[in-house]
Amino acid sequence: MNAALEFELLKARRAGVFRWGAVVVAVGVPALSTAFFELVRLGGNSPSAAKAATMITELSLAGLLGTAGQVLSVAILMTAGIAASWSFGREFVDDALPALFAIATPRSSVAAAKFVVLAGWTLLTVVSTVILTVIGGLLVGLDLDAAALQMASRVAATGLLGAALAAPMALVSSWRRGYLPGFVALVAVVILTQIVTAVGGGAWFPYAAPALWMGMGGAAAASEVSVIQLLQPLPVAGMAVVATLSWWRRAEAR
Amino acid sequence: MSAVTIRACSIARRFGEEQAVAGVDLEIRAGEIVALVGLNGAGKSTLMRLLLGMLRPDSGTAEVLGCRVAHADRAVWSRVGHLIETPARYGELTVAESVYSAARLQGWDRRSARVAAAAIIADLELDHWQHRATRTLSLGNLQRLGIAMALVHQPEVLILDEPSNSLDPLGVVRVREMLRTRASEDGASVLVSSQHLDEVARMADRIVLLHHGRILGGLDPHGVDVERQFFQRLLEADRAKQRAQ
Repeated sequence: MNAALEFELLKARRAGVFRWGAVVVAVGVPALSTAFFELVRLGGNSPSAAKAATMITELSLAGLLGTAGQVLSVAILMTAGIAASWSFGREFVDDALPALFAIATPRSSVAAAKFVVLAGWTLLTVVSTVILTVIGGLLVGLDLDAAALQMASRVAATGLLGAALAAPMALVSSWRRGYLPGFVALVAVVILTQIVTAVGGGAWFPYAAPALWMGMGGAAAASEVSVIQLLQPLPVAGMAVVATLSWWRRAEAR
Repeated sequence: MSAVTIRACSIARRFGEEQAVAGVDLEIRAGEIVALVGLNGAGKSTLMRLLLGMLRPDSGTAEVLGCRVAHADRAVWSRVGHLIETPARYGELTVAESVYSAARLQGWDRRSARVAAAAIIADLELDHWQHRATRTLSLGNLQRLGIAMALVHQPEVLILDEPSNSLDPLGVVRVREMLRTRASEDGASVLVSSQHLDEVARMADRIVLLHHGRILGGLDPHGVDVERQFFQRLLEADRAKQRAQ
């Protein structure tokens, strides 16, 4: 294994931000979705049940997965954004940057290894979330049918696209030399998404498209999201990765 | 005469209004230990960062092992070790993991990195703490760790910014002996900065005095009173500057 990747994996294995981030998403999202689902299915009249009902399109495993997908679209952006900000920003906060200069492994390789670790963590977290949601559905007596399998793929795609949108936080954390600027950028992006969606520009806003496709704005809005709109996170992530690697190649250790 | 391994030619760097390094010329040869001394803010750390490519010069050039720093590749940097100001603080890693990782990042294979890490940990008497997270280390042991990470891959060029910081007297002696052995037996070039004039007088072959980003000349490490020489040169430089104004 490449030395930079081995180094980043070692740090990630020890990092609470990766460990607890994965637990919060992979356990929290299925648990919350199943709770919402049961609240609606059991026919309660509480305000919480009425609110949860707006997220659930049908009382089946596909419906449960759809709910999980909506929660996941926000949860994965938040946790991956925090993980990306921490992973890049900690090198400055912990005074580690000078040690990455004048060594045989280029700094851009270290930065690339961070992205590989983040991608691996995302894949594991998203797949675990889908699997645990399906298990949760089976435990409450729902059937695993073709519609559920199709929805499971949709949830996984939403999760991966949502996590890709965290890549710009790596750039902000590198550029501003710390993880706090990355956290601030993440909060700003979430607020901006709410505003853009409220004024009706959601599908053309990369940070809103995956959630809308997942049904966050209702079934009608979901069906109107085109493939191009849905795939907007990929060029956003690609440009952020290229810019971050370039920054790491050229930055000084002041 | 042995080869020049570190060279700065009229190198300069400014931070805003502050001229941190102002046209420094410096050469260090294989097997030589050179100490940079000067008051706080004299430009010692900035000069070292310029030599390591951490900063780009506004003018002038830096060379390491015969290669312009701006063009140095992994083959050059794998032969260089350094510790600038504080050691990297990956608090979640153990001492052994930190030193092993430093060797791996210098291009060593896993087995060699493990063996080399164990050896330098023993040399610096860090064995007792080798399985502890580095966040639990005292400042002195953190400094030993930084030195271990700089030396683990047996570099031919060593650039160490105040290596004796926070070390206990035994640690100071151990590091001094280690650097002298690296220079005299392995032919390594060593550039150290320090505030401890007695210590550099014991260790260095040459002492270079830096003041306001300029080299004022050398001090004789074997002279009677290095501290007296140091202040005499600073005083002369400041008086000359006042006269010029």
